[in-house]
Amino acid sequence: MTGSAADIVQQIAKGTRSAAAVLAECKALIEAKDPDLNCFTAKTFRRAEREAAVIDALYAEGKALPPLAGVPYAVKNLFDVEGMVTLAGAKINAGNAPAAADATIVARMRRAGAILVGALNMEELAYGFLTENHHYGTTRNPHDRTRGAGGSSGGSAAAVGAGMLPITLGSDTSGSIRVPASLCGVFGLKPTYGRLPRTGTYPFVNSFDHVGPFANSVLGLALAYDAMQGPDPADPACAQRAIEPAGVPLSLPRGIRVGILGGWFHQWADPAARRSVQLAAAALGATDWTELKSAEVARAAAYIITGAEGGALHRPRLLERYEDFGPASRSRLVAGGLIPATWVIQAQRVRRHAYREAMDLFEHFDLLIAAAAPAVAPNVGQETLLINGRSIPVKAGLGILTQPISCIGLPVCTVPVWPGEGDSPAERALPVGVQLIGAPWREGLCLAAARTLEQAGIAEVRLP
Amino acid sequence: MTEAHDNPLEPYVRAALALQGYTFGDGEIAEIVMQFSRLEAIAQAVFDWPLPFASEPAPVFRP
Repeated sequence: MTGSAADIVQQIAKGTRSAAAVLAECKALIEAKDPDLNCFTAKTFRRAEREAAVIDALYAEGKALPPLAGVPYAVKNLFDVEGMVTLAGAKINAGNAPAAADATIVARMRRAGAILVGALNMEELAYGFLTENHHYGTTRNPHDRTRGAGGSSGGSAAAVGAGMLPITLGSDTSGSIRVPASLCGVFGLKPTYGRLPRTGTYPFVNSFDHVGPFANSVLGLALAYDAMQGPDPADPACAQRAIEPAGVPLSLPRGIRVGILGGWFHQWADPAARRSVQLAAAALGATDWTELKSAEVARAAAYIITGAEGGALHRPRLLERYEDFGPASRSRLVAGGLIPATWVIQAQRVRRHAYREAMDLFEHFDLLIAAAAPAVAPNVGQETLLINGRSIPVKAGLGILTQPISCIGLPVCTVPVWPGEGDSPAERALPVGVQLIGAPWREGLCLAAARTLEQAGIAEVRLP
Repeated sequence: MTEAHDNPLEPYVRAALALQGYTFGDGEIAEIVMQFSRLEAIAQAVFDWPLPFASEPAPVFRP
């Protein structure tokens, strides 16, 4: 493993390790581990060597180093990378012109000194919670290769979970950071809707698309998040807010009120997921249960809006190249494009209602917690999940606990917890993540709670 | 699986596909009808949720 981002930054600043040496170790890890996992769809080692040389030259000249100096990272392949085709996991994009410039947050990572080593596999067009990509293959779970990595940012989560990289970037429309973070046992941050700019990222559902980091440590997550913050007028959804640093070293204020989400979030959590929540709650001193009564309907609203916006976005290409879309995507996208306007407007009304209900909860609590997935990682190709005696399709079911939250744009830090529950030794060795959910713009609090759990040994990234 | 022609949503799907310029064979239409039926089932929760008459939508969402 390359180590944590904070360790790498410190080692390079002290001169005990060069950026070139870190990159060489990282490349060796990728070459050794990726063939079994299929995380990468492209590698950018030449660019990485140039970026590492810049960092080593700064050190040699005695100049100040940027905050992520020499930290290797990779991005879900829906982020523009100058000179590369932005695939978004889709064959229909393979013939597009290469990106003329980096996505805004990739450019910000570069300015922060991070070293880009490649692009990562994802669900086609980000539509789904698996990364069983019809065109670019399945990304496997680093803790059990018979199981999936989750999605849609499966390559991003698995690359960190396998110890190849300390940081990756992904996107989350309905759970695509939080679900794979949960299944692969890594930290993930879905910031408040509008916090990080999406300029230069391939869209899916403008109303819900978020971008954010994965990391093998909470400090790494916070360093990446801080490096990517800031307004961007080119993204109409990006809040024109000044940078609000997460506040490294991330200390949790005394007396914060943590509520455990019951109702929908408890019903759809299996014993392993419930145990993860229990462990996190105990470490945070949380004993009070509460409920977001509109969770189910918020999820339904997210479905409607996602279907309608995704279907409308891709209609021109569906009309011309239906057969070039994967079989798991194309009929869903077309069906979504047929949703009547009245459904969408009603869903948007529900969305505002659910948001207000959540704001009422934040009158009583500073932080809410819930499982990030209903169960441990399913097997590759598994069709259904059995949750407390109820069967749901894997494809939709993995996001059952994340969709209500992204529908209303709240910031969430997902932390890897290892409940040790399950019907088999293999299941008992797998993680289920916990969502630490804050009020809008309170990413710092979510990260501080994650750091508390990390320091308590409740949340940790375990190497396979 | 229910055949598309047994599904009460099939006429709507066929009409909406034509309106949007899609031309598909029966096999593809059956798949799209199934997908649309899933969406319709989920949409019921949205319709059934009691909302004040004047509640506003959130088409441009800024928390």
